[in-house]
Amino acid sequence: MFSLGDMGSGSWLQRGKITEIVGPLGSGRTSLLVRLLREVTRGGGAAALVDADATFDPVTAARAGVALEHVLWVRCAGRRDVAVAALDLLARCPGFALVALDAGETSARLTLAQAFRLRQAARRADVALVLVGRDRVAGAGAALAVRTRREALAWAGPRRRPTRLVGMGTALHVMRNQGASETAVEHQWWTA
Amino acid sequence: MVDSVSRVACVWVEAFAAAAVERTEPGLRETPLAVVSGTAPARRVTDANAAAREAGVRPVMGEAEAVTRCPALVRRVAAEETVSAARRALLDACYGLSPRLEDAAPGLVFVDIVGLERLLGADAQIAERLGRASRTVGLPARVGVAATRTAARVAARLAGRTAVIPPGDEAAALAPVEVRTLDWPPEVAAALARWGIATLGDLAALPRTGLAARLGAAGLTAHDLACGRDTTPFRPWTPPPFWEEAQALDWEIDTLPALEAVVERVLGRLTARLAAAYLVADGLQLRLALLSGAHHARALALACPMDETRPMLTVLMHDLAARPPQGAVVGVAVQAHAVPRRAMPGTLGRPSAPAVRDLATILSRLVALVGADNVSAAAVGDSHHPDAWTAAPLQADADDGVAADSNVEHALAFRRLRPARPVTVETDATGRPLAVRGALSDVARVVRCAGPWRTSGEWWDTARWSREEWDVALDDTSVIRLLHDPLSATWLLDGAYD
Repeated sequence: MFSLGDMGSGSWLQRGKITEIVGPLGSGRTSLLVRLLREVTRGGGAAALVDADATFDPVTAARAGVALEHVLWVRCAGRRDVAVAALDLLARCPGFALVALDAGETSARLTLAQAFRLRQAARRADVALVLVGRDRVAGAGAALAVRTRREALAWAGPRRRPTRLVGMGTALHVMRNQGASETAVEHQWWTA
Repeated sequence: MVDSVSRVACVWVEAFAAAAVERTEPGLRETPLAVVSGTAPARRVTDANAAAREAGVRPVMGEAEAVTRCPALVRRVAAEETVSAARRALLDACYGLSPRLEDAAPGLVFVDIVGLERLLGADAQIAERLGRASRTVGLPARVGVAATRTAARVAARLAGRTAVIPPGDEAAALAPVEVRTLDWPPEVAAALARWGIATLGDLAALPRTGLAARLGAAGLTAHDLACGRDTTPFRPWTPPPFWEEAQALDWEIDTLPALEAVVERVLGRLTARLAAAYLVADGLQLRLALLSGAHHARALALACPMDETRPMLTVLMHDLAARPPQGAVVGVAVQAHAVPRRAMPGTLGRPSAPAVRDLATILSRLVALVGADNVSAAAVGDSHHPDAWTAAPLQADADDGVAADSNVEHALAFRRLRPARPVTVETDATGRPLAVRGALSDVARVVRCAGPWRTSGEWWDTARWSREEWDVALDDTSVIRLLHDPLSATWLLDGAYD
């Protein structure tokens, strides 16, 4: 069963399979990706991040505990086709514990054939593929798909005139969990 | 006085300037070759390889006379870059075996080999390893081993490939050596011939005070050489952090494919040197000398430390394709920032890392896709600026896989726009945002906002910065950060929380 608590033990991410994290901007999907990068890199694993819009922020990622020197960051300057090609390359490189695609705000939906080819590549290289975006990217090719939804925001300072955002609550809904019939909802609080 | 525990190897490359040219153009090894300097028609030979010397070509000879003696003679103009790169290459090759070297002259390196017998075996095996290391970087060296540098130098000079003088046998080993086989200052050579001194043993037997009275300092130096004595202290050589390989061109290059062939050869020599010293490069600097006298310089951080020519070449050529040199190229120099090679990827119980060869191949293909500037790891800079990061090499097989210090286990991530995008913001009378135009939707009303949060830094430097931040929740579900400049009344979209 899906559980955020498993993230630390490594069973949340499945090597050789595709995991999708989808949700609108401001729902906490990037925070979940950063959390995955933290878990992989703090164990000594290497990760690769294909950043379609080049919006990854190393400073906040380092604050979240990501070992940046273990993360290969590929910046694609808004070119979706290039991002998918880079993901395809990295998915075939054995040795990475995690290869992630941050598809950004525009859709980068793969065809069914592309998705299954990507899954085959990930299986052969024993790499955990994570696709993050506003909408589903791999469709039926993904073993696990999670939708993020913002639940709350917390502010610091006087009630009428706050001075800083200090946190955000996110609900994680399992949309697809291959091999399991039940769905789950998890709640997570992110600290700014 | 000879130190009984001292063991020194002398690595010597004969006709070094010619050997340096052969290193850059290996096809010339079997051809009579002369290095010339000066301006035509008064050019003179400064060095010649063995084939040219066999044909009677000698240094100081005029170029015309040399060609008359050897019609097949190939001439190359002396280039400082070629010789200095070869000199560094010889030092690097020796540095792979011993950390204590003396750079005595171009093509002449003394290596302190005390203690190496436990690692490499007897003196003869050490000499063989040094010779092999030199040949790896394209320089055929002779190696002599003795208790003193002077004796080792004589041994190297007389060796076919390697020669070892056993400890304590220096005087006996040097005594039968004929004086005419060594190079002497002209006045010393003339005096020795006049006195009928035929061997170093004869010279060593002469009274030292008498030599000093007749020949001065040169006589004393000659006597020390004959006795195998060192009179100067060992001056250790320290490798600089950057490793450079260069090649001057006799012709101009104005197309990238032609330049690629030269850069590949230069990189090949550089990676051979790195491999000989068990190092890898995590950054490259390319410097092209242009016909106009200007230089085209580029510094590139490699996405992972590597020592393979092909991926490095891909990175450099993609960068050159994006920013081509403004004119014909007449010289190529590549510097590598060297870091120690890791003995094996990962450690016991740790996840395996990508193999260096796989990673290098993938990186070269990624560079072809997105450009060399867009593939790297990141390192947070020593600054409080919110976007202070620099590109850094990927440490895929680092054994210190613990994350950076962090007290925020579940940190809220931020998606940053680079550069920040100008937006139009409606404000109330107190200056607090009410609506934002041009962020993610055309117009979005502000649900709640927090600010202003003022930060600044580097006010003591030219890179000073200051910003006024507003965290804004919009009715299109996004939570963004706005930057406000009160002086110019401009608003910028810095990014979004996600």
